[in-house]
Amino acid sequence: MEKYLSENNLLVVENLKKIYSSKKSSFTAVDDISFTVKKGECFGLLGPNGAGKSTSMNCITGFYPINHGKILINNIDVHKSPKLARRFLGVCSQDDSLDTDFSVIDQMVTYASYFGIDKKTAQEKSESLLKRFFLDDKAKENVESLSGGMRRRLQVARALVGDPQVLILDEPTTGLDPEVRRELWDIIVESREKGMAILLSTHYMDEAERLCDRIAILHNGKILDCDTPQNLITRHAGTNIIEEEIRPGMKWKRPPNIEDVYLNLTGRGLNIN
Amino acid sequence: MQTTFWGIYCVWLRYFKVFRKSLIYGLVTTFTEPILYLLSFGFGLGSLIGTIKVAGMTLTYKQFVFSGIVAQTVMFQGFFEAAYGSFIRMYYQKVFQALAVTTITIPEILWGEILWDASKASFSVFVILLIGCLTGNFSVLGSVIVFPFCFIFAMLFASLGLLVAAKARTIEEISYPQYLFIFPMFLFCGVFFPLETLPKYVQWFAWLLPLTSVASIIRSCLLGLPVIPISILITTIWLIILITWSRRAMINRLVK
Repeated sequence: MEKYLSENNLLVVENLKKIYSSKKSSFTAVDDISFTVKKGECFGLLGPNGAGKSTSMNCITGFYPINHGKILINNIDVHKSPKLARRFLGVCSQDDSLDTDFSVIDQMVTYASYFGIDKKTAQEKSESLLKRFFLDDKAKENVESLSGGMRRRLQVARALVGDPQVLILDEPTTGLDPEVRRELWDIIVESREKGMAILLSTHYMDEAERLCDRIAILHNGKILDCDTPQNLITRHAGTNIIEEEIRPGMKWKRPPNIEDVYLNLTGRGLNIN
Repeated sequence: MQTTFWGIYCVWLRYFKVFRKSLIYGLVTTFTEPILYLLSFGFGLGSLIGTIKVAGMTLTYKQFVFSGIVAQTVMFQGFFEAAYGSFIRMYYQKVFQALAVTTITIPEILWGEILWDASKASFSVFVILLIGCLTGNFSVLGSVIVFPFCFIFAMLFASLGLLVAAKARTIEEISYPQYLFIFPMFLFCGVFFPLETLPKYVQWFAWLLPLTSVASIIRSCLLGLPVIPISILITTIWLIILITWSRRAMINRLVK
């Protein structure tokens, strides 16, 4: 454990194992994964649906109990001291979990109170976040009246209201239009600049390649490889230009990307020369 | 997992804020139903029947049914807020899931839920007690004594509601326990008529259900009837079983 203990490692996941068991069967959803996320680093978990991304996220937030391993947020074990550890954690879950009983601003202020933030600070913080997320003109409106893209932005804004050091974003841009997607990318980059450790799960390869300092390829609950996007590409997809037949009779040439890495690692690869 | 009063209070406060925000809705749903029962059965039917004999004491039917409606209010308000309310919060709104990744823990969320449901039921009970005292049907001292007990009884039925919500796969499935458990209790556990009028075996069965004991204790406090010791035991057993079982069931539902 000592090797991970460093001021810079805000999130440590060590030998995480999660088994779903029922009376009839048991299924290993996350199989012994380890990684760390440093201050000011964006770490991507990349994998298809069912790879174990959301399960890992739910274990890392301390919401699900784990079968083996350890999760440290700011050097605090989230399963032993959830209240203390989660003081430093901001989460945007994959499901829309906005509280529809509140208006946009009340949503933020109430959520801030769960982190022990006093009302005045919460109000100021919420207002400035809503402004940054272009939601300030919607502050008094009910959550129900917001569009899908606005709701997602609000959910990310809410994750930031407690001044987290570790930010967990579970597929934050799934189903969003390109404009909102880019807005969220800007905010993720900004948060990283501010020194947050960001754990991002996605199944968009371009998003992972663009935003993440390091990427772990997750498949069937295991990390197949973990490195910077460039190193992963060089290692698993080579440096040669790839010629691809995108439909009969039409070929195009492009440099290798993370998608090739993913497809090669999971055994569904293209034939690269 | 860690449980603190602060965490439970945060959850309770979230519910209270929502209640205060939609105050008209809150007041209508909290107070209309028991007041309608009071008007219909208490003043309406109560004026026709006159006096009845319970445990050797002569009471007006109005007194009898008023005190029964206190018990019924405890059950309905506690159960329905918890059953439908917590199902919606868990399944549709995902309020529990959003709270459980902040510094609030799941045990705190569930305590907050049960305590809020009991608080809301107690608001209704307060109004019934007030009307009962003002119309001279309840003893004032008895009303003051019974109030905290009503809160605990409401926790019992709120836990039952939480258990139902945890086990229901769809919101429609909440109707099963509602029709097969709550409504029979409402009709056969001594709210509207003394149990002694029922066949002996039905009486025994009724005594196994929580509302009979709850109604009996409430009536004893309000009308100065002797307390039946077994009713305290039965209520305590139900309370412990339901609180433990409902919390475990909801945790299993939320956390995989």
